[in-house]
Amino acid sequence: MLSIKNLEAGYGKVQVLHGISIDVPKGKVVTLIGSNGAGKTTTMRAVSGMIKPTAGEISLHGKRVDGMESYTIAKLGLAHSPEGRRVFATMTVTDNLILGAFPRLTGSRPKGDVASDLEKAMELFPRLKERRNQLAGTLSGGEQQMLAMARAVMLNPEIVLLDEPSMGLAPILVEEVFRIIEDLKGRGVTMLLVEQFAAAALKVADYGYVLENGRISVHGEAAKLRDDPAVKAAYLGGGH
Amino acid sequence: MKSKSLISGIVGIAILAAAPLYTSNPYYIHMIGTIMIYAILLFGLDIVVGYTGQVSLGHAGLFGVGSYTAGVLFFKLGAPLWIIIPASIGVTAGFGALLALPALRVTGPYLAMVTLAFGTIIQILINEMDFLTEGPLGIKVPKPSIAGMQLNENGFYWTVLALMVISLVVVDRILKSQLGRAFEALRGSPVASDCMGVSVYRYKVYAFVISAGFAGLAGCLYAYSEQYISPNTYNFELTVLFLLAVIMGGRKSRVGSLLGAAIIVILPKLLDDLEMFRVVASTLAVLMAVGGAIAVSKKMTTAKSMALPVVGTIALTGFAFWLQSITDWRLSIFGLMILFVVYYLQDGIVGFVRNLFARKGPRAGHAVVRAAGEHQDAIMKAAAGAGQDLLIAKGVLMQFGGLKAINQVDITVKRGTIHGLIGPNGSGKSTMMNVLTGIYVPTAGSIEFSGRSVVGRTSSDIALSGIARTFQNVQLFGEMTALQNVQVGLHHTFNSNIVDVALHSPRYTREEAASVDRGLGLIEFVGLADLANEEARNLPYGKQRLLEIARALALDPQLLLLDEPAAGLTAPDIKELISIIRKIRDHGITVILIEHHMDVVMGVCDNVSVLDFGQKIAEGKPAEVQANEKVIEAYLGGTAA
Repeated sequence: MLSIKNLEAGYGKVQVLHGISIDVPKGKVVTLIGSNGAGKTTTMRAVSGMIKPTAGEISLHGKRVDGMESYTIAKLGLAHSPEGRRVFATMTVTDNLILGAFPRLTGSRPKGDVASDLEKAMELFPRLKERRNQLAGTLSGGEQQMLAMARAVMLNPEIVLLDEPSMGLAPILVEEVFRIIEDLKGRGVTMLLVEQFAAAALKVADYGYVLENGRISVHGEAAKLRDDPAVKAAYLGGGH
Repeated sequence: MKSKSLISGIVGIAILAAAPLYTSNPYYIHMIGTIMIYAILLFGLDIVVGYTGQVSLGHAGLFGVGSYTAGVLFFKLGAPLWIIIPASIGVTAGFGALLALPALRVTGPYLAMVTLAFGTIIQILINEMDFLTEGPLGIKVPKPSIAGMQLNENGFYWTVLALMVISLVVVDRILKSQLGRAFEALRGSPVASDCMGVSVYRYKVYAFVISAGFAGLAGCLYAYSEQYISPNTYNFELTVLFLLAVIMGGRKSRVGSLLGAAIIVILPKLLDDLEMFRVVASTLAVLMAVGGAIAVSKKMTTAKSMALPVVGTIALTGFAFWLQSITDWRLSIFGLMILFVVYYLQDGIVGFVRNLFARKGPRAGHAVVRAAGEHQDAIMKAAAGAGQDLLIAKGVLMQFGGLKAINQVDITVKRGTIHGLIGPNGSGKSTMMNVLTGIYVPTAGSIEFSGRSVVGRTSSDIALSGIARTFQNVQLFGEMTALQNVQVGLHHTFNSNIVDVALHSPRYTREEAASVDRGLGLIEFVGLADLANEEARNLPYGKQRLLEIARALALDPQLLLLDEPAAGLTAPDIKELISIIRKIRDHGITVILIEHHMDVVMGVCDNVSVLDFGQKIAEGKPAEVQANEKVIEAYLGGTAA
């Protein structure tokens, strides 16, 4: 569904990605693993159009999307839950979620039943339901994280990019987030996942790519990567 | 790099100085003089607009105050130049303070409105106070005398040039000093500035007053240059022109200010004459086409997005040759050109050129690798007295409307320990941090730090008394380098005032060198040595978190609050973080740690408090807390690591 070929990207003078290629097949979960600064978030940003690649191709459903604006890519069914809780602080939780469905309301994506999806999103995150009328800016950090993820789901997307969905969440909620990812996977949602808990990410994912200094060093089926001694030593660490 | 810009600067000054020798036409000399006078004002305006990010629509008013201070002093008292210049600067800076003290409590559109009102009031006052200002009649001011000799047009021109160069050097020095860093920091993140002991309000006012001083100097010279001043000059249009000049030339750049001044003085004159306009339009089209070609070949932009501006400028040239007379079209063309620049060159002309010729690779900057043993330990040891109570919070209540974010919480932290603060999301941990650092004032309860209450004190005051922090959502100063970020934290080590900075006195040079040395030491400590000269916004997330720790340590804190330092870190990075936290404790610094990674909490904390729904539900040694039924139910869950 999503195919990235020889992607190069960076910020200003700094080149971060030096030609990476990734395939995300329909209905599968693919995870990116790597240390800080390896280029995981940059890849996500390039895919959703937040930064423009300097070389390479990104296609969605076989259609070239590199160089397109983010909102156009969103209309094609790609939702991005960004790192670091970017929510609309001065709007309520409910309004944040409804805005996630904006392309559906304006007719650039199939409308479906927005109201019932809103209920479903709140069921996924009961905490958000409790706070539905609260301003997003007054939520705690972890709650904003959940809101960003729920908002991405509201697009009724064909593919979701999840950048560190469990960041800043209490251990009990980290389990919850992975349960939700499983749940979405069960519903056939394609996902590209970046997670600090690499071991847990490899459990839920079908395929994994290891990024090192902007290049892919290893990739393959998630189960195999999990048993790869080099990957284990470098990224999976102790615990979790 | 540095010597190159110095040489081009000297060449530029030499050309300007020689200008009167080449032309005997006073018209051109007067025009270049006016550009330089405007440039002085723009240097100052750029401090406010470019660095602190505030919008002032009051600078024409301040310019007027400077002119009329000079005019009135000369007309009423016949004062000489050497009194009039400092008086104009002083009086205008005073007016600047008068405006800034109340106005800078507000920001954004409100600030724009207040400054706009100020400008209008000044113009009205000049008009009405005819006992002092001669009202609409205006004041005649002949060229000044130096040492009994009245200056001719050329002599005055050189005086202006000298003052412009001095202003340029002084502004440049201010902006590269701790003051300039404070200005930039408060734009990057006001909350972080306050928590680094740099009071946002105070430094906004400083910036404004300094800026007003330069406006005063420019106004004073303008009075002499025109030899006649009247209220109509200092109107709203002039203020907008000043702002445009800063934006078009390029903010945060002295060359940009000079360019901007040249544009607003020369462009309207070029449009007076059809032949001239044709030349300008053709040049513009050629420049645009060449610039566009370079940009496309460097892959900075696509041919498609460059097409419109190139075609636009060529169309303008065609239009120029089709026109029979320009008088009717002058203003429309001027407006169009401005619109074009503002829309296509958002970083201004200087910013555009900089991007065009941007070099790949590391920036020139401070040498990062230093000989071993050259510098002492970058982290200051905290005061002795391990085991005593450092922080005592009693019955803290923080209420937002009906919501009790923190409900009657008692926490005592002993000196030299690492105290964990855990709990579910939304349980009030970050609110507690904000209460401790003065961002929120608690509804009830007492907080004592080192025997002194912190309740009701400002964030910057609390920071300077020894509480440093990091932020859950990273709050770095994005456009500043990693080293500069840490140097903002070292702001408290500076005693130099603005005179020291302008003269580069030994005290300032010593303090600046020391801050670079310590800053690099702190950056090395968190393992970012090779990124010291990189802009903070370009660092990956995890490294930004480490940089925040380095910046917080620069405050020489007794107590360090870390808000989720491990969020977003992978397993190997977390090991590194744990060792950093331990090293910080070994320097005697007390740490309060909010964290969800249990391996971090269990690995480093001496004591742990658990919050749930704003209340403390458990407290004790890490192992005790981990086994606590309530904590498992509310927070850890069944299979937690």
